[in-house]
Amino acid sequence: MTTNQETERFTISIGPQHPALKEPGSFQFTVDGEIVTKAYVRLGYAHRGIEKATEQRNYIQDLYLLERICGICSHIHATAFCLTAEKLAHVEAPPRAQAIRVLVAELERIHSHFLWIGVSAHEAGFDTLFMYSWRDRETVMDLLEGLTGNRVNYSANVLGGVKCDVDKEQKAAILAGLDFLEERTRHYFDVLTNDSMFLQRTRGIAVMSRNQAEVMGALGPTARASNVARDVRVESPYAAYKQYPVNMMLDTRGDLEARFVVRLNELFESFRLIRLILDTLPESALTVRFPRRIPGGEAVMRLEAPRGELFYFIKSNGTDKPERVKVRTPTISNMTSVIKLAVGHQLADVPMILAGIDPCFSCNDRTVQLTNARNGSSNTMTWEGLRQHGIEFYGGKRK
Amino acid sequence: MNSEEILTLASGIVSSWDWVTEISRPNPKQMDVKVTSLQELIPIVVGLRVKRLGHLSAIVCMDLGAEAKEMEVIYFFCPGDAIIALRVRIPRENAVLPSLCEVVPGAESYERELREMFGIEITGLVTPDRLYLPDDWPEGSYPMRKDFDPKVLSVQE
Repeated sequence: MTTNQETERFTISIGPQHPALKEPGSFQFTVDGEIVTKAYVRLGYAHRGIEKATEQRNYIQDLYLLERICGICSHIHATAFCLTAEKLAHVEAPPRAQAIRVLVAELERIHSHFLWIGVSAHEAGFDTLFMYSWRDRETVMDLLEGLTGNRVNYSANVLGGVKCDVDKEQKAAILAGLDFLEERTRHYFDVLTNDSMFLQRTRGIAVMSRNQAEVMGALGPTARASNVARDVRVESPYAAYKQYPVNMMLDTRGDLEARFVVRLNELFESFRLIRLILDTLPESALTVRFPRRIPGGEAVMRLEAPRGELFYFIKSNGTDKPERVKVRTPTISNMTSVIKLAVGHQLADVPMILAGIDPCFSCNDRTVQLTNARNGSSNTMTWEGLRQHGIEFYGGKRK
Repeated sequence: MNSEEILTLASGIVSSWDWVTEISRPNPKQMDVKVTSLQELIPIVVGLRVKRLGHLSAIVCMDLGAEAKEMEVIYFFCPGDAIIALRVRIPRENAVLPSLCEVVPGAESYERELREMFGIEITGLVTPDRLYLPDDWPEGSYPMRKDFDPKVLSVQE
């Protein structure tokens, strides 16, 4: 049997089942042997038409609807909607409410980054780390539950303020939890930057230069790992970030390892910020009166979600329902970088490149179809199979 | 640079194109530019990119309704804590916009969204495929338009 290089070009589709996020995706990677030569993305398999649905509901209903856009960063969506609507209605939430919004947002960032450490460790075949980091993540989930009453959709916000307050016991519980989490984060930092097996999967892989990151519109930790100073909390402080300034975490290397380092450094920054907020929580009421009808106008709000800049736009028309709500989540912007970065890389690196932008996908089983472009023969493997391929590919190279 | 300096620089760039008619400041940190001819859009974006005035944060499209016969598209650029909004009005029927992909590669997914949700033809888009909507979504039916009728979906079956 004679084989020609040309006929060995396969198109591999990954997806579309990503039930965990707003942007579940179907990826098609064309490969030449082991090297990816072309990448293509198709999203929307769980598009629920939330933007359209907000136009038929009033502001209070929309708050609960929009909080359900994402299960991981639900609080930031609710905060974004509240801040934008408050801007339109010329209402400002009291200082204590703003500080609690930031407090919950930083706890959410901790939970999101721990989740991501686990997911990406799993993609690299480091399941021990996955188990440990998700065990530790339970600590922060418990803290959030203690504070707001919910593990996932915290529902801490109301229009014009917040629902939950922090009392002495909760403060003590959060401080104790943070001490444990900080110690664990130090351990993970050590593992993720020193474990030679893991570094094989991250160091020098998927390098994105500063210019590339800027041009492709990368956001959040993905951009900051390429030394792009883009953090809304610093550039345009919202809620209580003016009173509690954040230090931006940057890395110059731009590879997967840098993305780990940036996120881990952000965890330390979050711990510092939460302690500071708990110590200096201003005394004030928790809510102010918010009108049912908002006068006509437009408002834009940008917030730093765990994955990057979240953009909200609301146009009001004088009624109790918005005329238009536009939400732009960070993953859609970072997706461009995955598509461009995957080209030229080993197929075995694809799971790690995808996980590197933290597209909030949990380890769901996805079907991967291998199709021979020339004669149409196809071969099916699962996402699990591709992940395994990646692990074995690098395992085989080991001495 | 603070937002005032950024917006002064930006308004300098924008007003150096003679044909731009209107610049307004709805609030101290935002600048609205009404772009009256589509040909101006790309030169203005190039100008903003050259001066590194922010990244394309989002493209927001609003259907102004069947009576207005127009749609408004706003390109948001966000340098620092300032916001630059480029506003374009296009007719609802046979809506066409130029693609920004050559200047801002990250615009691709936003433009694909505009195309399928509002039915705006984007000239120069490399992959004009659907991004969010399923393959069997009825042709010529755009869900984010104000007069969208969900019944078209059941008729298909």
